[in-house]
Amino acid sequence: MADRRCKQIFAALSEFLDGELPVKHCRELEEHLEGCKPCLAYLETLRTTIQACRKYRVHKAPRPSPRVRAALRKAAFRS
Amino acid sequence: MNIEVQQALENLRSGDPEAVERALESLQSAVYGFGMKVCGNHEDAEDTTQETLLRLARSLKEFPDARALAVWLYKVAKTQCLMSRRKSKFAPAQMLSLEALMPRPEDVAGAPSKPWPITPEEVVLRGEIRDRLEHAVLALPKPYRLVLILRDMEQLNTKEVAEVMEISEETAKMRLHRARVSVRNVLEKYLHTGPRPSPAAAVKGPRKRSALTARRYRRTDG
Repeated sequence: MADRRCKQIFAALSEFLDGELPVKHCRELEEHLEGCKPCLAYLETLRTTIQACRKYRVHKAPRPSPRVRAALRKAAFRS
Repeated sequence: MNIEVQQALENLRSGDPEAVERALESLQSAVYGFGMKVCGNHEDAEDTTQETLLRLARSLKEFPDARALAVWLYKVAKTQCLMSRRKSKFAPAQMLSLEALMPRPEDVAGAPSKPWPITPEEVVLRGEIRDRLEHAVLALPKPYRLVLILRDMEQLNTKEVAEVMEISEETAKMRLHRARVSVRNVLEKYLHTGPRPSPAAAVKGPRKRSALTARRYRRTDG
């Protein structure tokens, strides 16, 4: 990421991946990526990071305490 | 919005006994999971879950729909996490500068211009790299960590993240990008240097192995 254009691209990568970048800027970004291997590699590794976060799960939760169960049941059946 | 949380809240509000029982388990699991991701320890996650769900019981009928209730629920859980008694041993109190997170030209020069040889599934399934991911998230300052967890792990949209965090959408996007880049850079460093060698491997010379890895990358890239 040597030049000024790469810096601008770098700042917009998340919005691009989230589909939140305006169309005009998307086209500019895609044109840059076609000729810039480091930026393209960075984009792909950022995408992998986001996808890994989406797949991340906490393994095991304890069961709700009797107090919480009782309070939520009472609230749920209150008219 | 997180579909599981929204569905659980709809079930809880339905008044159907079976649906309510399912909702209890789902909400416990969702709020505890959120607490673990943000706080990084079981005690704070459990305190967060207990307090959040007790408050939910008091406010269940106050919201027009499950989505509004879900946003409120995350807001309460976030506040509980921010009040947690145990400070994360990883998290610094500073802000993240985009300039500092950007790879330097000298880093890029020797690095492979290709994606990682690992899938997102492997990141979360392989113990050591999963640990790196968890530590990288916990190492983020809390305002950034919360945005990343809400957006990428809990899968709220930008507007909902901004609502929960009580910040503008622009600020949410800015924090999200910096948080993602920071986590990505930790994983990149790990994947390039490889796992920390065992004492036996260290005797054989980890430096030599790193150099071999670097040469292999250069050759592949031509």
